[in-house]
Amino acid sequence: MNTPTQTALQPAARRAPAAGSPFKGQYRKRLFKADLLTVIAWASVAGAVALWLADGGVAGFSSVAGAFTAMGIVAGLAGMDLVLLMLLLAARLPVIDGAVGHDRALEFHRKLGKPSLYLLLAHGVLIAIGYGLAEGLDPISESVALWVKVPDMWLAFVSMALFIAVVVTSLVAVRRRFPYEFWYAVHLLTYAAVLTSLPHQFSVGGLFAEGTWQRWYWLAVCIATGTALLHYRVLEPIVATVRHQLRVSRVVAAGHGVVSIEMTGRHLDELAGSGGRFFIWRFLAPGQWWHPHPFSLSAEPLQFDADGGGRLRITVRNLGKGSASLARLKPGTRVAVEGPYGLFSTAARSRKHVVMIGAGIGITPIRALLESTPFAPGDATVILRGHSRSGLYLGDEILELCQRRGATLFHLTGRRPRGVQTWQPETEARSGYRLASYAPNLADADVYVCGPADWARNVLDDARRAGVREEQLHYERFDW
Amino acid sequence: MRIRAVVSATLASVGILVAGWQSGAHVANTASAVGTTAGTTGSGTTGAGPSGSVGSSAPSSGTSGTTGSSSSTGAAAKADGTFAGDVVQTRFGPVQVQVTVSGGAISDVTALQLTDDGGRSVQISNYAAPLLRAEVLQAQSANVQTISGATVTSDAYLTSLQAALDAAHI
Repeated sequence: MNTPTQTALQPAARRAPAAGSPFKGQYRKRLFKADLLTVIAWASVAGAVALWLADGGVAGFSSVAGAFTAMGIVAGLAGMDLVLLMLLLAARLPVIDGAVGHDRALEFHRKLGKPSLYLLLAHGVLIAIGYGLAEGLDPISESVALWVKVPDMWLAFVSMALFIAVVVTSLVAVRRRFPYEFWYAVHLLTYAAVLTSLPHQFSVGGLFAEGTWQRWYWLAVCIATGTALLHYRVLEPIVATVRHQLRVSRVVAAGHGVVSIEMTGRHLDELAGSGGRFFIWRFLAPGQWWHPHPFSLSAEPLQFDADGGGRLRITVRNLGKGSASLARLKPGTRVAVEGPYGLFSTAARSRKHVVMIGAGIGITPIRALLESTPFAPGDATVILRGHSRSGLYLGDEILELCQRRGATLFHLTGRRPRGVQTWQPETEARSGYRLASYAPNLADADVYVCGPADWARNVLDDARRAGVREEQLHYERFDW
Repeated sequence: MRIRAVVSATLASVGILVAGWQSGAHVANTASAVGTTAGTTGSGTTGAGPSGSVGSSAPSSGTSGTTGSSSSTGAAAKADGTFAGDVVQTRFGPVQVQVTVSGGAISDVTALQLTDDGGRSVQISNYAAPLLRAEVLQAQSANVQTISGATVTSDAYLTSLQAALDAAHI
């Protein structure tokens, strides 16, 4: 039974030596990349301020008015830099995705939201005070005067209002009250906010005056960010969609409220080995096309012919309104695709052993990962969690894969006990089982977790208590 | 964030800031030197003005100086000479102009100080000042259009000019 893998091996697997930890080098490289990106991000903020210093900015502090203006300028420069960083973090750059993963990148993106808004607000207020002092006006009259008299300043005010709208609608408390689509539409205004903020920087901002190299630096940074966004968020998805020519071929029920959507297309070999990484799917049917669905493949693509024509499959549950209507998709519907994104794949491996734990519909990425990630027979443990046996989606396929590849498989079904923080069903929790009870090599394994947020937190806590380090934990959010 | 990342990020940032500071200190020195030179030249020019009775370069004493001169000329009202206007503070720096009157007409307008806060302001000033001067010479008053894109500078320029013209009784 324990035959080695038959599936398409990733380059990493081919390189991997048989003994020791084959992923050590890959892990070190990824860590170095992540650290380097962190350094570049912070250095860019320092750079923004340094450019201002190099322009003799400190001279402003010789008067009170000048000090306010100077602080306002620094706040504006730092704010602008953070906004550009946020755009890059959300641009799905392969270099960022490969180093920290899509989830973490967006987490940083969210963390920067409030600080950058505060910096931009401080910029506006401090400049109004500083200019007002120089001119003998109160900050409000000064703002009005700036709006009326100084070219491009009215655009800057519009930009400010847009930034406030974007950040406020992204606050967790506010975001929950509105549908995803509303938040998304408002978030698109970020681009308008950035674009309307640019003119005043280059026409009013003394630092960006023509002929200074600061102007060239900022121009280059802005153009690079814009190009990256256009390339990775618009061009690449279009190219992928045209190249793969995906069409829905079949929609099959895979359990209660769960359907598998099969698609045929071209060049699918290029999508192989993505493991549990997710793609963004758009079904080009009326009322559907604008709704993006983030799902991973639930099986490696099947190839029909030599030039990559074949079939692939995703498995989805009726989570949201959008997902529910997926069950009614008609065969022949065209599908736009982008990705894969995220680090829920072999690229995140750091150890020889691997433990994969999925709950509910979170089992499907586990299924894809199990199929493609390299491990020696006996080195992998798979734990599936569901309310009942019928909730262990794709259970039969996973059983077969585990038999073929030599992985240990556990089915954990039943409700969790009330009032106890555990990821296990009542019986197992009461028996005092821990994650390490299922996977003896846990401390020296990569742990992949996919499922609802609360449940996943309990798994991760259990793993940490068993001595698993952060770098070994790989968690995919599933409650979008 | 790992320690290695934090340490390297801090070191890199500090290094970049220090480098910026250093080159900035250099710029600031040059700027103040240039400023001084410009000031000297300005007063020199003023001193050498046509009938140098009023050529005071001190901004605050400019107006009072002119008043003195005009009162000495008495009822003749329109006096030839150089008259400096008020210093008008703007958000982009102070503005002051000086008007030369000969035969009761405005024969020249010179800017003693123009908005100079940052490279962009200097650019605007350099662009707006000749246009304003031409307009004023043609209209023979401060009652001219502001230059679009340089509203702040224009307003201050014309305000200072009006003060100078008042002093010259034009």
